[in-house]
Amino acid sequence: MANPMVEIVRGLFYGNILPVGKLSPGARVFATLMGRRGDIVPFLSPQIHDHAMTVAKVPARKYYYDAELLVNTELAVERWYGFDAPMITADNYNFELEALGAKMVYSDYGMPTVDTNQPLIKERADLDKLGELDPTKGRIPVGVEIARLSAAKGLGLFANGLFCSPFSFICGATGYPKAVRALRKDPAFARELFDFAENKAIFPYLKAQAKAGVKQTIGADAWAAFPNLTPEMTDEWVVPSAMRLKERGKKELKMRVSAGAAAADYCEEDPAKFNKEIMFKCLTVALKLLPMDMTMTVMGRTQDWNMEWVQEFALKNRKRGRKLPIYASLNGRFVRDSKPQQIVDKIREWINIMGRDGGLLFFIGNVPADTPPVNVHTALQAVHKLGRYPIAKDLLAITVEPHKFTPFDEWLKGQPEADVIFKAREKK
Amino acid sequence: MGEGLYQVISKAVTEGEEEEAVKRINEALKAGLPPTEIMQKGIVAGISKAGELWKANEYFLPDVIMAADAFKAAMAVLKPRLEGKEGARKGKKIVIGVVQGDVHDLGKSLVIAMLTSAGFEVIDLGIDVPLQKFIDAARQQKPDIIGLGAYMSTTMLEMKGIIAELEKQGLRKNLKIMVGGVPTSQEFADQVGADAWGKDALDAMQKALKL
Repeated sequence: MANPMVEIVRGLFYGNILPVGKLSPGARVFATLMGRRGDIVPFLSPQIHDHAMTVAKVPARKYYYDAELLVNTELAVERWYGFDAPMITADNYNFELEALGAKMVYSDYGMPTVDTNQPLIKERADLDKLGELDPTKGRIPVGVEIARLSAAKGLGLFANGLFCSPFSFICGATGYPKAVRALRKDPAFARELFDFAENKAIFPYLKAQAKAGVKQTIGADAWAAFPNLTPEMTDEWVVPSAMRLKERGKKELKMRVSAGAAAADYCEEDPAKFNKEIMFKCLTVALKLLPMDMTMTVMGRTQDWNMEWVQEFALKNRKRGRKLPIYASLNGRFVRDSKPQQIVDKIREWINIMGRDGGLLFFIGNVPADTPPVNVHTALQAVHKLGRYPIAKDLLAITVEPHKFTPFDEWLKGQPEADVIFKAREKK
Repeated sequence: MGEGLYQVISKAVTEGEEEEAVKRINEALKAGLPPTEIMQKGIVAGISKAGELWKANEYFLPDVIMAADAFKAAMAVLKPRLEGKEGARKGKKIVIGVVQGDVHDLGKSLVIAMLTSAGFEVIDLGIDVPLQKFIDAARQQKPDIIGLGAYMSTTMLEMKGIIAELEKQGLRKNLKIMVGGVPTSQEFADQVGADAWGKDALDAMQKALKL
């Protein structure tokens, strides 16, 4: 990626003063994040770690333990698809729990997973037995190296560390029902759990990241999505916790710490229950947690949403006369299970509703491992073809055929990541 | 006295007040009210109300978990009094569980209430149940029926693997499989090789009686 400051300036210049020429992918993203329009609607790299592993045919038992391999594989696969901004993710929910001794399930084919049948904290007394996280244990050094490498590989403003946010950590440690019971019926215990999560489990990991030179870090929090938590509960518990970590990170580590990513995400699964008022409450609470003002969607059943609602929220909450940029996430299962033409049709519908006035970014909420690559390639092609500014009056007149692409292995030859990926496939 | 007490029990279950529910059930039993009626008019009415509030977007997952906790606590008190009561179908045993990755308890709780009231012996494996636990239960408990529940379209896919594994291990000869949960359908049940699909708790109970 080019110098991020140059990208920002170019993006802003294009969006505010002179929309002429073609933008680099980075500048396109920055122009859009400011609620303006770039030359094309950008498509950000999704959470793609296990899909990238599958596409690159690298073994899980190497991939999730070798930062160099994971970072190279994700970057290569993201570039093969042509996303406008890179993003490195891993199995973010596991690192701290694994290092603290939680029972894990390891697999030859997928990411390590916390064994929820044998929770780390079964009862209150277990909390006292747990010491502070030792950053040399488990895969914490791998997590730190992933963060360091994403900066070293030139991801610029998209380089960040990763961690598990407090509420999701608590769910991993106790199981979700017990975590919710604590919030509802035993707030004193809930406060102890948050205190442990923030200060004994997560902060030592953040400290190790800061020591490695990481400047910003993001905490995943899918367990705090709606309806796992109501927006009111998120506001009461998750937001203050994120603020505490943010303050402590700033003060003690000089690091930008953003906990609560995907908290309050509207993930109602039943279309019959979709409700605008609740969705707006969720989007409002999520705004408090985001590092910048945005209308954020991540993992919800967005294929069935009325996107007029999302556009309405973005306009209603406009800042300085511009609508809030919309982070429009195609549901990962939808991308996996749909025919390419269905994906194109959905993208056309969304651009028509939310893209004409700019400020629209596409994303996929976690690409499942077994997603057909043609579906992702077609999504990229559709966004870049239909999302060309000014948006065509009649988007139906523009056809997008399923994308013909060079197979990954063929494309990989000669790429900077080729050696690392091909070598990882060799059996030891 | 009965109707008023049933309402109090029902409210306690709906609102997830498990201590209150248990206290009032003991009171009802002491007063000589019939256990089946306490269950139907108190506990089942309460959990059904929670289900209605969930459908109406007035209850959310945490509320549902609290209601299910109260339901379980209430049923634990009542269960010894229900065993051997009217309508019991001796020998009919059902193992039931929500598949791995899914923690939605309410639907299962309702199905258990219906099945128990119809006299089935129900063994509850709980929520987030891994495949192996269903296999072990099929082997050890030798149930007549296994009921698989899921609330999410992602987790319902686990059912296919469980049914395939039961087949593979030769455990389906005298075993019927039922599936249920919001994202499931008759078509899905057919696809995964289930013997029956429960549209809701009542339907699940009626179909279980016919299997």
